[in-house]
Amino acid sequence: MAKTSSAKKSSTTLLLVVFLMAAAAAFMALKAATDRVSREKLPGSSIIYIPSGKFLKYATFGYRAVAADAIYLWAIQYYSTPTIDDRFDHLDHIFAIINELDPRYQDPYEVGALIAVQEARNPAAAFSILDRGAANNPDQWVYPFNAGHVALMTLKDYPLAEKYFEQCMKIPGAPEFVERLRANAIFKKGDLRTSWETWLEIYKKAPDERTKKIASNHLYNVKATIDAAAVDDAAAKYRERFGRPPSDLETLFRTGFLREVPKDMDGQDYLYDPATGKVKTVTSPWRR
Amino acid sequence: MKIGAIAGITFKEAKRDRILYLLFFFAALGIGGARVLAILTVGDRVKIIKDVGLASISLFGVLMAILIGTGLVYKEIDKKTIFTLLSKPLHRAEFILGKFLGLVLTLFVMTLFMSLIFLAIVFAHTLKIEGTLLVAVGYIFLELVLVTAVAILFSSFSTPILSSLFALAFYLIGHLSWGLELILKKMAPGAGKTLVRFLYTVLPDLENFNFRTEVVHGLPIPPGIYLSSFLYGVCYTAFILGLAVLVFRRRDFI
Repeated sequence: MAKTSSAKKSSTTLLLVVFLMAAAAAFMALKAATDRVSREKLPGSSIIYIPSGKFLKYATFGYRAVAADAIYLWAIQYYSTPTIDDRFDHLDHIFAIINELDPRYQDPYEVGALIAVQEARNPAAAFSILDRGAANNPDQWVYPFNAGHVALMTLKDYPLAEKYFEQCMKIPGAPEFVERLRANAIFKKGDLRTSWETWLEIYKKAPDERTKKIASNHLYNVKATIDAAAVDDAAAKYRERFGRPPSDLETLFRTGFLREVPKDMDGQDYLYDPATGKVKTVTSPWRR
Repeated sequence: MKIGAIAGITFKEAKRDRILYLLFFFAALGIGGARVLAILTVGDRVKIIKDVGLASISLFGVLMAILIGTGLVYKEIDKKTIFTLLSKPLHRAEFILGKFLGLVLTLFVMTLFMSLIFLAIVFAHTLKIEGTLLVAVGYIFLELVLVTAVAILFSSFSTPILSSLFALAFYLIGHLSWGLELILKKMAPGAGKTLVRFLYTVLPDLENFNFRTEVVHGLPIPPGIYLSSFLYGVCYTAFILGLAVLVFRRRDFI
């Protein structure tokens, strides 16, 4: 009797195990089948409901820095997943949350701005992130420096670049080359007079020969640009009066369109092209 | 028949549980409170009402399933009524299934009432009955059924506090396991990837029952997913119940 009961119990257990295995196989197969069905997503729907860091910090029960770490780690994974097409839609919002939770956490500012510029092609978001970094960390020169770099190299917004480099220069510890970047931004902005004065100042207070040489080359370039503009202007007026371009710079001087025949900073003559009416330096400013 | 009788008794027992009404009260408060939250928004108020309402049904439903489900089997053992029950011609599997169905019935009634309040509030704002919301509620209920099975599984061998923690962990894992897919895409082939793939396949994916975003935003839901999600829920629940029966059969009460 006991033997029969034991055998029955064993067979029921075996049946149960078989049932479990079948159920497990079924739900695994169904999971794979469900995963294959692609569900439509709202743009940015995966992150759109993350609240502002201002409110989120109250929900972290004092673990604000850990929450910032977790969201930052997640953000790195999220933004390096190219299959999420709309991942950049709320980039500034996400990094704002991290910055709000841990304002002294430096990496998210730099990495966030880098993602904004290089991946999202959204310089506005980069400026927003870097401005927040500068506001939360006024002792860090790197944020206005990076913003200036983005304005100079990516956006080609030279007045904005000048503003950021100027802001950067005021922060103790900022490298001396920032002043040169600012002078370059002023030159590219087209303010040749201020550019000349800035480079001259850099030249005068240059701490070493290398910096002096760099400043000298830029001064050479600024002067050549000013002279070329003056020649352009004179040649245009000459053409207007005589109906043909001047044959050389002497002609422009003799006819009174130029007060003197310009020479470069090294005292050499400029090369004049009668066909275009333009001048250029004999040597490249950067190979003097 | 025996299963039905136990389910009936479980339903009556659950009806007397004060915690059920407390949770229902808070659920109703949450659904009604959505109206107040909606006032604070700029733009689509109905969206807030739908979001918070569906979240309340889901959250409080899960709490009901866990807090009542984890005590069901343990109470019988603690009060020693299990001896009376098992001395009758009753299989342990019938006992477990009866308990499960009784709680599922309770949750069905509760979900029904919560949904009625929810639909009434939505109706007050939109002046139309939105049938698609019932799709989301239906799959929330399916999720509750699975969580109930999990609560009963843990209740069959552990104390209510531990069982609640385990069941809650199951719920959290179920809603976070999709993250493993992201990790899988970044992992180099090897033993680690195989392990993560195994975990991804075996761990519950409760996001399969989450149609709340689609329903609230009126996004199209691929027809194929209804059936596969439903069957996934049924098979996973059957697996958990089978496991519960297996564990419960091996327990010695003497």
